[in-house]
Amino acid sequence: MNIQIPVSWLRDYLKTDVAAKTVANYLTASGPSVERIEKHGEDFIFDVEITTNRPDAFSVYGLAREANAILATNGQKSQLVPPKGLNTKLDPDKSHSLPLDVQVKDKSLCQRFAAIVIDNVQIKPSPAIIKNRLETCGIRAINNIVDISNYIMLELGQPMHTFDYDKIRGAKMTLRESQARESIRTLDGQNRKLPKGTIVIEDSERLIDLCGIMGGENSGVSTRTKRVVLFVQSYDPIRIRKTTQALAFRTDASARFEKGIDLEGIIPALSRAVYLAKQTAGAKVVSELIDIYQKAEKPKPIILNISKLNSYIGVEIPEEKAGKTLEFLGFKVSSTSQTITATPPTWRFQDMEIEEDLIEEIARIYGYHNLPSTLPKGEVPKTEESILANVIELKNALKYLGLTEIISYSIISKEFLKLTQLEEKDAVELQNPLSTDWQFMRNTLVPSLTNVVAQNQNLKSNIKLFEVAKTYLRVTNDIPTQDVHIAFALQNSNFLEIKGLVENLFEILKREPKFQKAGGKNPLSENSQFATIKIGDKIVGGLGILKREVADYFDIAGDTFVAEINLSTVYNLQSTVHTYHPMPKFPPVIEDMSVIFDEKTPVAEIVSEAKKIGSPLVKNVEIIDIFRNGKIGKGKKSITLRLSYQKSDSTPEQEEVTRYREIIAREISRIFQAQVRK
Amino acid sequence: MNPKIKVVLEQAKSKIEQARVIKDLEQTYVEIFGRDGLVTNLTKQIKDIDPKDRASFGQSVNSAKKEIVEYFAKKRSSLVISRSSTSIDITAPGKKTQLGHLHLVSQAIEEIVDIFKKLGYSLQSYPEIDWDWYAFESLNMPKNHPARDDWETFFIKGDTNPKYGNLVLTPHTSNGQLREMERAKNPPIRMINIARCYRRQIDVSHTPMFHQFEGLFVDKNVSITDLKGTFDFFTSHFFGPKRVTRLRPHHFRFTEPSFEVDVTCGICMGKGCRLCKAGWLELGGSGMVHPKVLKAGGIDPAKYNGFAFGWGIERTIAMKTELPDIRLLFQNDIRFLEQF
Repeated sequence: MNIQIPVSWLRDYLKTDVAAKTVANYLTASGPSVERIEKHGEDFIFDVEITTNRPDAFSVYGLAREANAILATNGQKSQLVPPKGLNTKLDPDKSHSLPLDVQVKDKSLCQRFAAIVIDNVQIKPSPAIIKNRLETCGIRAINNIVDISNYIMLELGQPMHTFDYDKIRGAKMTLRESQARESIRTLDGQNRKLPKGTIVIEDSERLIDLCGIMGGENSGVSTRTKRVVLFVQSYDPIRIRKTTQALAFRTDASARFEKGIDLEGIIPALSRAVYLAKQTAGAKVVSELIDIYQKAEKPKPIILNISKLNSYIGVEIPEEKAGKTLEFLGFKVSSTSQTITATPPTWRFQDMEIEEDLIEEIARIYGYHNLPSTLPKGEVPKTEESILANVIELKNALKYLGLTEIISYSIISKEFLKLTQLEEKDAVELQNPLSTDWQFMRNTLVPSLTNVVAQNQNLKSNIKLFEVAKTYLRVTNDIPTQDVHIAFALQNSNFLEIKGLVENLFEILKREPKFQKAGGKNPLSENSQFATIKIGDKIVGGLGILKREVADYFDIAGDTFVAEINLSTVYNLQSTVHTYHPMPKFPPVIEDMSVIFDEKTPVAEIVSEAKKIGSPLVKNVEIIDIFRNGKIGKGKKSITLRLSYQKSDSTPEQEEVTRYREIIAREISRIFQAQVRK
Repeated sequence: MNPKIKVVLEQAKSKIEQARVIKDLEQTYVEIFGRDGLVTNLTKQIKDIDPKDRASFGQSVNSAKKEIVEYFAKKRSSLVISRSSTSIDITAPGKKTQLGHLHLVSQAIEEIVDIFKKLGYSLQSYPEIDWDWYAFESLNMPKNHPARDDWETFFIKGDTNPKYGNLVLTPHTSNGQLREMERAKNPPIRMINIARCYRRQIDVSHTPMFHQFEGLFVDKNVSITDLKGTFDFFTSHFFGPKRVTRLRPHHFRFTEPSFEVDVTCGICMGKGCRLCKAGWLELGGSGMVHPKVLKAGGIDPAKYNGFAFGWGIERTIAMKTELPDIRLLFQNDIRFLEQF
């Protein structure tokens, strides 16, 4: 969260000659970051980021306190001067005091409730300095009383509220949780339906305050107000946050209550408010101080070992300097030569628990920029890397093969899930999706890839895409299976192109795939042009033509071919190890043989049979041509096999080659009912 | 010179001379030096020469051979030079193979992993859907922490584990810290975890899915200066030697102390411009691992300590490429993808 702080205001409490820019640099290096410095007339405004653990610095005085500690520790002349009136006496100025009956129903709602009634209030505009400061910080000045509450919130970080005493019916305030279906009209004129469990205050008749967020319109201070309840609290941060979320309504006050309030700062803030009300509105205190206090645990001392401090920071910091740093920050410190014992100030109680917390304070104020850079020494662990390390190499190889990588959302819509035919009960479903487009975690990458082909189909005609990502599959009583998949989509392609690509992929992966015509259910591919991919007996993926229905769903023209492979499975299987084979000393005899087969005869079987029959003389069989035409007959194809006859100890004799050729021709014709062409 | 040798020399020279193209010359080579070639046969004869003349015969054969080889080489280069004389427009585009493109996110991941590998880190892979315990509880994030609201984090329907709670789409990679501690059991640990992460927000600088990078270092006597050195090493390798880092105090639940790491802006080189905060860009968060986190991971915080760091990959890409809208990264417009 960010806060705008006019430097002139900061200097009310931070007495130093150090230039604004230098103060900003010190703060950024050692405390809250000054993200921007803006010139504002004669003044500068700091835009400061305050982390959620430091609500104590979310105010002008809080930041001054922080800056003073940093400057003083670093040898700059600096002094912290608190605002006036923090110790104002809160005794009534009149003998007969006005009644205000306060009840806090549930102590967990409100740890401290302080209020006091003032009378004789003259409502008028605030003095120029207050008005200007508020407006510089983005808050509209209203009148002297309302402005006090905003001024103190900015100054001390303590939000407060002012009620018109005469509008509180029955002079009674009951702080409680809201019931179902209660509502309140807040000061901004909005009617707000309250979620159950909101912290509210009611008088004897109605709700008058949406606590910690905004007061009720019915009880606000107006120009006719004479008597005012000054009101300073701390609320349960979680309930405040729940309400602001449910109402989608946050205010400067609620932002502070959500982070937690220094309980010991409540009475000083009320005192300061009384002081300002007396000064600017001629007010008189007319009630006893109401202070209902659920005392929080006292901050406990923390013991810091000096040797640990030095080892952690990496340089030696004199114990005296370390102790001084903590003192400037408001800690109570005692030390020995080995340890520092420090009790945190009340405004840091939420944030200070263990030794490391003290180390952080000392180190940051010492200045991280003053520390040297070292590379860690010590042993490098012997750890096997995950398959993601291999995936990096794989992606590069695919890029050189001409493919383009996409990254698409892993969260898919119900419609996409439907395409995959995975049942909803087996899918991983989000409980709180942002929209119906993002409802399920995908178990396949193909629909997303296809979608990208569709999006781009008019820009190019040969899109070749891949994606690597984890996929998710529900497992009962355990985290989902999260295997890494790779998927491809080729626009206007054919089966052999995608098969060749998958074969290339496995060459890179050093595994030998087998392709099998698969029956059964293929949600994304037509069965007629689909193959499962196996390594050994393990199915690792599939490839094929995109199913008509899927192509239609995405409005894709032309034939899109897709493949998806489970890389987690593949990488877990043994890779092929290539051992040395001596280079042949004698050249092969190479011959081609054309054979007419029935259309249905699988080429892979022809090759493997030819190899088997030709063994040992035939070392290699390649398909160099497949063609079909009317001459060879309908339902037939002519395949040209290139046979390499080779021996290790001599060049094969012509008679030998002839003998083998004849055996192969005869056997192939017999097995496949084929006809060898002359 | 022995007449036999002289004949061979003449024959060889004339054969070479007759060659018109390189292919002829190759054939000639076989005829001269092949198994049954002129020179080969001559060499074979050496053993049949009278021993007293054999040495001088051998020498002559060798010098003839040398002469032929030189002659051959000369001819060869003359053929090569004369092969083509038409003038070429060398400005015409070459015939090349179409390369593809890696996604910017992958490119960044590769660079980051390479840099940390040099420091002995290994890349690990941890769940992107994990138990609440790993994603929050063990990381010292209390039940009421805003990140644990279903306002900010995606939760999974269904299973809850009595010990580990709900399933969540991890909003950061820090669940990997615990998973790595459990896997390693004993330090030293030097781990990198990169994963898809998910948060319930979408705008110019946020997408509901993004990539985060996480580093974890655990050993004995680790100090803040080690973390500083590690970041200096990374920055000079990733952004270039002129860029420097700084640590700013910050707050994260799972580190103590915590830092924001800034790097000098590459546009203004630290002077301050409209793209940066007074000369600096936020790179990511880091800090010394909180003792409670070590304890949750089964590592004794009295013996070991360490640091952790992490940042969004998309952010660093936006910083490097001046990308105006992070959502472009996942729209997968081919015209965008092919730019990189």
